Amino acid sequence: MALQGLEIRRSSASLRGGGTGLRKLPTVAKYIDTSTCIGCKACEVACQEWNDLPNAQTSGPSQGTYQTLPTMTANFWNLIKFREVESQEHGLQWLMRKDQCMHCDEPGCLEACPAPGAIVQYVNGIVDVDPEKCIGCGLCETGCPFDVPRYAQSTNKMAKCTLCVDRVSVGLEPACIKACPTGCLQFGDKTALVEAAKHRVEQLHADGFAQAAYYDPQGVGGTGVITVLKHGDHPEWYGLPKDPTVPTTVSVWKRVLHPIGFVAMAAAVFGAIGHFMAYGPKKPKDTSKDTGGEV
Amino acid sequence: MSELRMPGASAIGGPTAIQVARDREDVLVGNEIIRHRLSTRVVHWTVAVFFFGALLTGMPIWSPVFGWMAFLFGGLSVCRWLHAWLGVAFAAALVLMFVLWAKDMLFDKNDKRFNVFEYLKFSDKEDPNVGKYNAGQKFFFWAAVVGGVALLLSGIVLWWPALFSQGLRSASILLHDLAFIAFFVAIVGHIYLGTAAEPGTFQSMTRGTVTKSWARLHHPRWYREVTGGAKGDRS
Repeated sequence: MALQGLEIRRSSASLRGGGTGLRKLPTVAKYIDTSTCIGCKACEVACQEWNDLPNAQTSGPSQGTYQTLPTMTANFWNLIKFREVESQEHGLQWLMRKDQCMHCDEPGCLEACPAPGAIVQYVNGIVDVDPEKCIGCGLCETGCPFDVPRYAQSTNKMAKCTLCVDRVSVGLEPACIKACPTGCLQFGDKTALVEAAKHRVEQLHADGFAQAAYYDPQGVGGTGVITVLKHGDHPEWYGLPKDPTVPTTVSVWKRVLHPIGFVAMAAAVFGAIGHFMAYGPKKPKDTSKDTGGEV
Repeated sequence: MSELRMPGASAIGGPTAIQVARDREDVLVGNEIIRHRLSTRVVHWTVAVFFFGALLTGMPIWSPVFGWMAFLFGGLSVCRWLHAWLGVAFAAALVLMFVLWAKDMLFDKNDKRFNVFEYLKFSDKEDPNVGKYNAGQKFFFWAAVVGGVALLLSGIVLWWPALFSQGLRSASILLHDLAFIAFFVAIVGHIYLGTAAEPGTFQSMTRGTVTKSWARLHHPRWYREVTGGAKGDRS
């Protein structure tokens, strides 16, 4: 968390929360073109360096993969996923995709979070964690359809990509974008990047990738990461869920069970008071026999 | 504890009701009937303390409306940590309660006649065959056991989310929530019936005793069993 004078659009567990909406900023996004990514991992290193994260003990080479770690961790927020996919149509494909927080427009983590203000969405769309308010419950992990938030035992806090909000808020691009040598990573106004993605998809179509598409899933209101995929009909080949949504249970919990719970609790309390007034206490009518020891 | 000595017992210089209630129940001492021996009462209040501890640390996590409760324990982070351990303690106390109480809580054929809506009319037309616990009390006991198991199992999943699948975690959120709401409603009813609604009941869980007229009104068969033919001090 590095709130740098950015207004908050949405805040976890805040019933009347949210920003004032006075200061408008364009929604920002990362553009990732998986077709020109060479898997150099400069973005991983830049992320570690800028965010002062400790060096990770790599485990990939011993596992027969170039992938640095099996999954993201609380100290490793930017991971290029290397996947070998075999299909009849395309033969063996070696696919790589930079994975990090998707900065959803409707973040499931924020929806699930019970700590007021621990997860915020800034007015420019960046989803961030405030470790001071995070209680380390891990409910964000259940709310996230992309398996991004990571709980760290050592700090008892959740951690994830901040989209370098500290850089972005002072007019810089995120560290990963800055480090990319091929230009497959870009950063800026989301609407402009969607146009760029459409243009790139047309190029890929012309190059023979008829199913090329960009990934901006509307089930979570669109994401702050636009990913161009050569095989847009198979996002799962890249480790992306096909049609991600905030888990139904999280919505049911917050939007259905909460109101039901409040009504039930109030009904119990007022029901008891009402019952007492209507039916009074139930007590023995005649207590004179108490002294006699007789039935 | 001479001030607590009841006329019937002190007259013959025997043990007072509160002394007898340390290790015996279902006996008549003077004009009082021992309803809950000391161990029963200790188990009840142990469960109660851990229940309310878990309730008050859980509610601020449930909704920010109850966020103020978190300050009783030092903040929401403390609640998140404490809630899990209090939950474990609650479950452990519940196991003890189950072991000690279950045999008294088995339903019998008389319980079929119990109608909670009739009961709540407080019409004084009590079924003469109601024993030490009526069917409503037995149901509450079994509901608490089932609810406690549901809270424990779903709570374990919520405690270590990284160890369980997304589906199991999602289901646990709902189960934990539903069990909590049910428990809240049930505990309001339990406290109401045990205090204001039925005077004379609360002391059965503190002092351990009830009056004869209380027993005759609420638990007629139990009253007959306890007093039996013996019209003296104790059965």
